[in-house]
Amino acid sequence: MKSKMMKSVFAGLGALMVATSGVGEAAACGGSYFPEIEVDFRPMGIAMAEKQLEQGKTAQAAATIVRIMPHVASLNAKKSKLTERAQRVLAVAIARNNGKLDIASEVPSYAQSHWVGKDAKERAANLTFAVNTLRTVNTIKKDDPAVQTELAEALSRVDSSRSEARDILEKLAKKDLIATPEGYAVLAELRAKAGDSKGKKLALKRCEAMASSASVCRTTA
Amino acid sequence: MIRHATGPAALVIIGLLLPGACKKETPAGSGTSASAAPEPAPASSEKQPPPKPELLGNAERGKELVKTFECNRCHAGTGLEAADFHKDCFQCHRDIISGKFKVADTAKVAKWKKNVMMVQHVPSLEGAGKRLRKQWLTAFLEQPQDLRPNLVPSMPRLALSSQQAADVAAYLTAGEPASKEQSWKANAEAGRTLLETRACGTCHLFTGADLPAKPALKQGESNAAIELAPDLRFTRERLSPDTLVAWLEEPEKMKPGTLMPNLGLTKAQARDVAEYILHAPLKPAAVHPVPKRLAKLDRKVSFAEVQEKVLNRTCAHCHGNPDIAKGDGGPGNTGGFGYKPRHLDLSKYSGIASGYVADDGERHSVFSPKDGAPRIVAALWARHDEQAGKPRPDLRGMPLGMPALPAEDIQVLESWIAQGRPR
Repeated sequence: MKSKMMKSVFAGLGALMVATSGVGEAAACGGSYFPEIEVDFRPMGIAMAEKQLEQGKTAQAAATIVRIMPHVASLNAKKSKLTERAQRVLAVAIARNNGKLDIASEVPSYAQSHWVGKDAKERAANLTFAVNTLRTVNTIKKDDPAVQTELAEALSRVDSSRSEARDILEKLAKKDLIATPEGYAVLAELRAKAGDSKGKKLALKRCEAMASSASVCRTTA
Repeated sequence: MIRHATGPAALVIIGLLLPGACKKETPAGSGTSASAAPEPAPASSEKQPPPKPELLGNAERGKELVKTFECNRCHAGTGLEAADFHKDCFQCHRDIISGKFKVADTAKVAKWKKNVMMVQHVPSLEGAGKRLRKQWLTAFLEQPQDLRPNLVPSMPRLALSSQQAADVAAYLTAGEPASKEQSWKANAEAGRTLLETRACGTCHLFTGADLPAKPALKQGESNAAIELAPDLRFTRERLSPDTLVAWLEEPEKMKPGTLMPNLGLTKAQARDVAEYILHAPLKPAAVHPVPKRLAKLDRKVSFAEVQEKVLNRTCAHCHGNPDIAKGDGGPGNTGGFGYKPRHLDLSKYSGIASGYVADDGERHSVFSPKDGAPRIVAALWARHDEQAGKPRPDLRGMPLGMPALPAEDIQVLESWIAQGRPR
């Protein structure tokens, strides 16, 4: 008797599934509207994030990326230009915020992951992501001073790679190819740490001429 | 080599007349002086450069070069397939104008439409071999001149050698008529009258000649016939006398689809017109005035202003960002039209600061000094020099194949650089 009942229940469920399988998208959402054609918002979102980054709104830029691609860290930049661009924005934002992204108010908690950098371990993980990402982008781009400048920024945030950062920036500076004021700010900082106060002043002067905001050129050294 | 309309006197041309423009009328004079009795005369009284020995071109090599230089991205009639849509410059412009080009951002398309309105027509090379002189074409490819005064874009200076120019010319003019000398005599005065009564000046300018002409192109409006009509002063260099006569008699036969109407001329009339076009005395060509370099501005100049007045107007179209264009950053970035990839991105701040890849394979700053100015500024001035008939062998003028930028806009860029290039 019991098994007969079970059979009837399963048959009924099966019939229901068959009956609803041919129904359009709208019905699948319980009758509420659901677009037939989905729009990929990533290209517009990434372009917006790039603009925000250029305007100095680093946390906003990172938040934009994490909101539209919460799984961004797990993607392969070598396989998709969009991934490359998204990861690059996020990596630069991390470097400019020393591993700690103030995105809690803009990104749902389930997507925040370690990006907020609540402790030293998370911040270090974020900086490792930034360095690895920019190394990958640098490999893809081969010879792009803008990427090299950004990589140097990220490297300068990790104790063990500061000399590599300085090497990159000094080479670029010699050819007047440091692509951003942030790059000159980092060079000033690295020169100061190496005891080159004259070099620091020169780099700061370039930074101040290029930057739209004086805060960009404030160094910790 | 032809030097800005002061080249050796030679042949003819023809051009394009509006089909409906052949009624009798007396257009307003162009103000040129009159010497009513045409006689064989040089194109101008200016000093002629010593004639360059004619290079023999190789048509087979020329065909390969036409592929390399991607002539089909602008011109029809190259013997190649039409370029893919995303590489077909003028078709893309026409699609934007006609509304065929669909993107979500309609405001953007409306802006593009304005920008490309006067950049939609380009001469077809169909039948070039039946019309053009190889020697002229070789010289033109080496040093393009402003052949069509009403057409905004002009032939860019390609990165080709004299031999390569001769090869391309040999390919495009295969079948050039053997007869190069004039074997007949005609009445130039009658020819001049015919040019007036058939209203050739509706489309054609004949600079330096005593012929009233006033092509009327309204501001912002495009007219293929007027834009594509060559200045008749170059005809004597471009076409042989017999070719000109044949063209005047039946243009469609020589170039299917041409906008040049059949004027219904008899052979005798065609010869009269040709006689005048070929031999009318010409005043020296007007030289493009190179404006004075302006002093740097005292006020602050932002990168946004530089983008608006200089970089986004033309530069970023060829020196673009490949990341947002399916990997094609344009000929000035990822290469094209035979140009090496220079990897110069003028679409954003970090791009212009990242410089370009020079012939030595190394990156260099676009702000490094070149003849007393930052290189990028020198390139903009070099375009003025090209328009004045003085191309610089070591620097290609920018924007390539487009009118030089006004001195005021170059001043904005130069001032921004002098101020430390603020972002």
